[in-house]
Amino acid sequence: MRPVARSAIATGLVLLFSQSGAAAGPDQGAQLAATCASCHRLDGGGTGIPSIIGLGEERLTNALLAYRASESPNHIMHVIALSLSDEEIASVARYVAKQGSNPR
Amino acid sequence: MKSWTRREFGRLTGAALLTALNQPKARGQAKARVVVIGGGIGGATVARYLAASATAIEVTLVEPRQSYATCFFSNLYLAGLRPFESLSHGYEALAKQNGIIVVHESAAAIHPAAKTVALSNGSKLSYDRLVVAPGIAFRDRALEGYDEAAMEIMPHAWNAGQQTRLLRQQLESMEDGGLFVLVAPPNPFRCPPAPYERASLVASYFQRRKPKAKILILDAKDSFNAQDLFQDAWNRHYPGMIEWLPAQFTGGVTAVDAKTRSVITAGATFKAAVANVIPAQMAGRLAQQAGLANRSGWCPVDPVTFESALQPGVHLVGDAIIGGDMPKSAFCANSQAKACAFAIAADLTGSARLPAHLFNTCYTYLAPDDAFSNAISFKPVDGKLKSVISFVSKVEESSEVRRQAARAAEGWYDAFTHDVFG
Repeated sequence: MRPVARSAIATGLVLLFSQSGAAAGPDQGAQLAATCASCHRLDGGGTGIPSIIGLGEERLTNALLAYRASESPNHIMHVIALSLSDEEIASVARYVAKQGSNPR
Repeated sequence: MKSWTRREFGRLTGAALLTALNQPKARGQAKARVVVIGGGIGGATVARYLAASATAIEVTLVEPRQSYATCFFSNLYLAGLRPFESLSHGYEALAKQNGIIVVHESAAAIHPAAKTVALSNGSKLSYDRLVVAPGIAFRDRALEGYDEAAMEIMPHAWNAGQQTRLLRQQLESMEDGGLFVLVAPPNPFRCPPAPYERASLVASYFQRRKPKAKILILDAKDSFNAQDLFQDAWNRHYPGMIEWLPAQFTGGVTAVDAKTRSVITAGATFKAAVANVIPAQMAGRLAQQAGLANRSGWCPVDPVTFESALQPGVHLVGDAIIGGDMPKSAFCANSQAKACAFAIAADLTGSARLPAHLFNTCYTYLAPDDAFSNAISFKPVDGKLKSVISFVSKVEESSEVRRQAARAAEGWYDAFTHDVFG
């Protein structure tokens, strides 16, 4: 059977293949973005939880740095961001910024 | 084999197609086989993330039911604030979008030496890795008189489904002025704030429809999760309606009498109009039969790979595991499942394993427009899952902040169930 890619973007699941194609497993940005997907729909849909799709890498990076620095305005994002290193923030922001807005 | 769901492949997006074609490693090789037993939150998430993480892995999900009803948000259904159907999620998307083979059978036995799973229809599945997500079972004889027949009169409603509907029917047909008795279980149990959220939301229903009704919580414990937030809310929203009696006051619940719908403690008998008895818990039956649980009744695991400490090659996620600070919640199951899927994928494809990030986040309703949230991060330390950072809502928060949390909770449910079931 041929290897088959699933319609990951269209279905909102993190696209877990390495963007470079160099590694067989999921890359760092994709694995970190799996945490985002527990609350934020990665197809850009949904209400109640702010969308993180279509924001751009810089805005995502700055938001995560701000959440890491302060409990206010959101203690959930504070806990998430506190667990991330600078490198991990850059990596997940780069990855999420590449996800297209494609709500069903 | 009647109930194999036909494997169907999703429409390819350009990027995904290109990536797949650029994976020479996967081409022309036999796929590694991972079998996942249990289609709850942990099992479905492992299956979905494994299927998406490497094309060289064939994922089979074994789950007898055609759909899964979430325990989380079922308290909103009990309060008449959400239809039961909105809690129900099928497995079609896992098959269609992710190419997962969904087998609607029960797993009858696990044979770790032969690396096979025997199904209840007599067939057998072979695996390279096995993931078991068996959820919870109730401890036998934890409460005298609480057998399967008694559950049909005094429902537990701690696995969402028929039991939840039964409890809702009983609450709806209860007369105004009736006593609703909720028996809260000893630690550890599925979803620590949930018995108290249930009391809160049932109180909101009573306030609207049966304002003279009372709620009595008979607890096996002397304190409970987020107690200050709950008790503050009960005073504000439902003054005089909810009474909580700790074990040190009652001596603990020792028995039930289904005939008279009574709950019996060391010193008294409480006759209920409606009784919700949530018994003591342990890992699901399959884990007990397969030697995956230790004497605690729960399953010890490696905190990095979630491989069983008792059976090599078998991984466990979700409510059934023990070994640290992670509570038994759907969010934890989902978080563990991702770490487990990435660890298995790294092993099977020979790629590097990255540090896992494990969290619990939970929204809890105190009233329809008043919810609080918490967030905890975890790290493996000395073989255990240790809580690292924890924040929870505060008692003095404004009603606007709480209203926003109630709205965020709705959005969370939508995103989370999309993440798990597609």
